[in-house]
Amino acid sequence: MLAKDYREFKTILDTRGVIFSFSGYLSEGILYSLGDALRHKMALEDTDLTTIKKVFSVFIEQAQNIIRYSAEKLRGNIGKAVELSSGMVTIGTDRGKFFIVCANIILTEDVPRLRDRLQQLQRMDKDEIKAHYKEKLREPPEERSRGATIGLIEIARRASDPIEFDFDPIDEHQQFFCMKVSI
Amino acid sequence: MDNLKIPATERSPDVDFDFAAGRLSLRGESYPEDASTVFGPIFAVLEPFLDNAENRDIRFDFELIYFNSSSAKALMNMFQMMENAAGRGVRLEVNWYFAPDDETMKEFGEDFAEDLKSVTFNLVATTPS
Repeated sequence: MLAKDYREFKTILDTRGVIFSFSGYLSEGILYSLGDALRHKMALEDTDLTTIKKVFSVFIEQAQNIIRYSAEKLRGNIGKAVELSSGMVTIGTDRGKFFIVCANIILTEDVPRLRDRLQQLQRMDKDEIKAHYKEKLREPPEERSRGATIGLIEIARRASDPIEFDFDPIDEHQQFFCMKVSI
Repeated sequence: MDNLKIPATERSPDVDFDFAAGRLSLRGESYPEDASTVFGPIFAVLEPFLDNAENRDIRFDFELIYFNSSSAKALMNMFQMMENAAGRGVRLEVNWYFAPDDETMKEFGEDFAEDLKSVTFNLVATTPS
């Protein structure tokens, strides 16, 4: 039963073309290790350098957004201050393209702002995204933002197609946010 | 002024600032979640150095493989700081190295160069090893 159960679980991931999928508490150390494995995997398969860089960059920005903004956090002190953020990152290939999907819980009050930003990026073409990126690079950081504005533009800039995203309400205070990027 | 030497880590670049020789370099990768952990100590010494470097020749080598968006923002601040210093008479030359097949790093170099009038900015394709 045990092997059958988990084989089925793995088969679902395999048929979706998943290279790896991480769900749980993310730290900077986990981000580094996953990113390293991802780069090695792509290099071993002779993926060209520009594509490797794009996929890696989108992965890092997505994972760091989870670390910064996930509403599902564990905080405490175990001799040093520790903050862990829960979320999900999945990377795979589908019809010759890489996809990177991230998901995490966010507060309902933060949904409109995030939706506006992502819709704004969806409407832009490549040149507009590039110009928008440069404009944000020159600006002083926004309050409370911790760098997300530019992170989302970086993701849009590396993506081959417009970013896909969606929200699934959990209760009145929280929603499950999911974003998919293709390269 | 004391030199600044910080070895690279998994997510931060090698920093080598030889102030006496006027040779500064950043090499490697930069993607800490909080960019100020990497760039805070750099700005703390770079700013006072540039404030007192009029009429000196300073060369800054950037050989970066990858950096995240918050590091990009910090690099932009650094270039703005250098442009201001160059406007005051510091002779600043920047070499931006990139692998010939790495379009992302080349494009970043071009983006940063666009805002620089007084700093000499060289885009340098490295020879494949």
